[in-house]
Amino acid sequence: MGTRVLIVEDDRHIIESLSFVLQREGFSVAAALDGEAAMQRLRSDPPDLVILDVMLPRMNGFEVLKALRADAALQAMPVIVLTAKGQKQDRRLAEAIGVEGFMTKPFSNQEVVEAVRRVSAQ
Amino acid sequence: MRRPLIGARIRERRRRLGLTQSALAGRVGVSASYLNLIEANKRPIGGALLRRLAVELELAIDELDGAAERGLLADLAELAADPILASLRLDAAAPEELVGRHGAWARALVRLHREYRARGKVIAALSDRLTQDPFLGESVHGLLTHLAAVRSAAEILESVRDLDEAQRSRFVSIIGAESRGLSALAQALAAYFERTLAGTPPTPAEEVDDFLLERNNHFPALERAADALRAAIGGAAPPSTEALSRHLESAFGVRVELRAVGTLPPAAQRRGHWLDEGTGVLTLAYMLPEASRRFVMARLLAERFERGEPIRATLEGSAVLTSDAGRARASAVLAAYLACALLLPYEPFLEAAVHARYDIDFLGVRFGASYEQVCHRLATLRRPGAEGIPWALLRVDPAGFVTKRLPLPHLLLPRYGVACPLWAAYAAFQTPGTTVRQLAAFPTEDRFLFVARAIEKPRPGHGLPRRLLSMMLACDALYADRTIYGEGLDISSAAPAVPVGPSCRLCPRAGCAFRQEEAIAAA
Repeated sequence: MGTRVLIVEDDRHIIESLSFVLQREGFSVAAALDGEAAMQRLRSDPPDLVILDVMLPRMNGFEVLKALRADAALQAMPVIVLTAKGQKQDRRLAEAIGVEGFMTKPFSNQEVVEAVRRVSAQ
Repeated sequence: MRRPLIGARIRERRRRLGLTQSALAGRVGVSASYLNLIEANKRPIGGALLRRLAVELELAIDELDGAAERGLLADLAELAADPILASLRLDAAAPEELVGRHGAWARALVRLHREYRARGKVIAALSDRLTQDPFLGESVHGLLTHLAAVRSAAEILESVRDLDEAQRSRFVSIIGAESRGLSALAQALAAYFERTLAGTPPTPAEEVDDFLLERNNHFPALERAADALRAAIGGAAPPSTEALSRHLESAFGVRVELRAVGTLPPAAQRRGHWLDEGTGVLTLAYMLPEASRRFVMARLLAERFERGEPIRATLEGSAVLTSDAGRARASAVLAAYLACALLLPYEPFLEAAVHARYDIDFLGVRFGASYEQVCHRLATLRRPGAEGIPWALLRVDPAGFVTKRLPLPHLLLPRYGVACPLWAAYAAFQTPGTTVRQLAAFPTEDRFLFVARAIEKPRPGHGLPRRLLSMMLACDALYADRTIYGEGLDISSAAPAVPVGPSCRLCPRAGCAFRQEEAIAAA
């Protein structure tokens, strides 16, 4: 069983393509479509790594990130943040809360694969 | 500053009339050498000699002593202080000569400088608009997301050699679907820019709007003027109705009389008050409520106080007031501001507002003011270091016309057209005279407390409908617990709130039952 990645993203097509690419690289992939579903999944079945979009329904990516860092069981979880807007400010905020990787849309599949490889090897 | 100007003006005018120094000196009864000293600005001049010179030079006294030119000099001094000119080390004395000899060129310089500053303001406003426009923010986010999906699927098609037919057609269809979303957004953006850039010059009302925004709807000089005026009236805060009327008569020779509305000239009957400039009588109709009578008197005092100088000085130097109509309108708005500040003095009013938790009715009773006056005053409590809750203000009529607006940084109020039909401002028309409060949640997740009431204005005549205007105050939900209107409201971000939008055109809420117009960007 390879490294387990949770993709939190509200665009189903992005999930589909990223899952396909990551699975081909030997990762095992699950997905959540909004912040609340992501938190539930993180608590019930924690993965090894999270790819987290910022603009999410219900609970945005930063709220998820904050909740995660405040949870003793999850605070060490590696997170790669995906963002599409306010990039400078998002990056500062993400760095302030603490993330392992940061990527802006539109990213290339290769960038994502490399980031996941790098972070999961740490 | 006065002397040098006059000397240069006299010499300039004398030469233009083809008079020698000794000829002019002879006509006004001084020696040629004395006139020479005057023209060289080495002797003061005034009184009878100035009048004689004015007659001989065929000029009015004020043209000769240059009141207008002094204003021009002040403008040039301001221009010279502009940082972009600092490296030129402009000669501080030269403007006097320029104004004296080439007045039109001096005015041209000032006009260009004003225009240059006005353009700067417009550019700053446009760039703010671009960074804060919710539609643009959403659109850019949408474009990048669609693009990320297209790129990801395209890369798979491009680089993965062993895709089976089902996988291949799946990724092709993803690209198709995402491209269609991308096209719709791009078209909406193009249409948006086409409309935005086809700008028209601002109307006078828009100029005033910009002016109030630029100054954050707070005018320290007018607050000081109000304090001085109140002291002259007797010092009571608020001043009594009798004191207002007494001061109008003693200081400005205006006698106040109460009469039946029918005795007013027809054009003034709608307003219920009339100032006869000839006789100096201010007639107030019995039908005018007490608070309105006080306001009419206070506004007249505000206009006449120090011959209107505090108001004029406040208008000076505004780059957004470019038309005469805009300035006239702004002048009326400032007179109303000064009147409000006179009747509702800043410090006691702020103290009472905080203590009464912004109870508008209580404040009205305490200061003898109308609901509308209290709302206006609450929106001016923005003195640095002594600020009240920052309130936005919106006044609409039953047809939806926005007749007054003062936005907040995160609360866009419509300048044209209507806001969201769910807003309390509109609901208030269903129960005139009753306060309607609302916790409103925007698509951006910003939350505001809305407090609205439809107030009734005096009806101009039998057979016409009730004249209602809805006044709405709005503050960030964070401040709701400092007001009586927030009592019992759950203001936590998870609490239920009315899902409103800025206006249908800008609102992304799909499936809203109240929608009247499609959003510019389809979500």
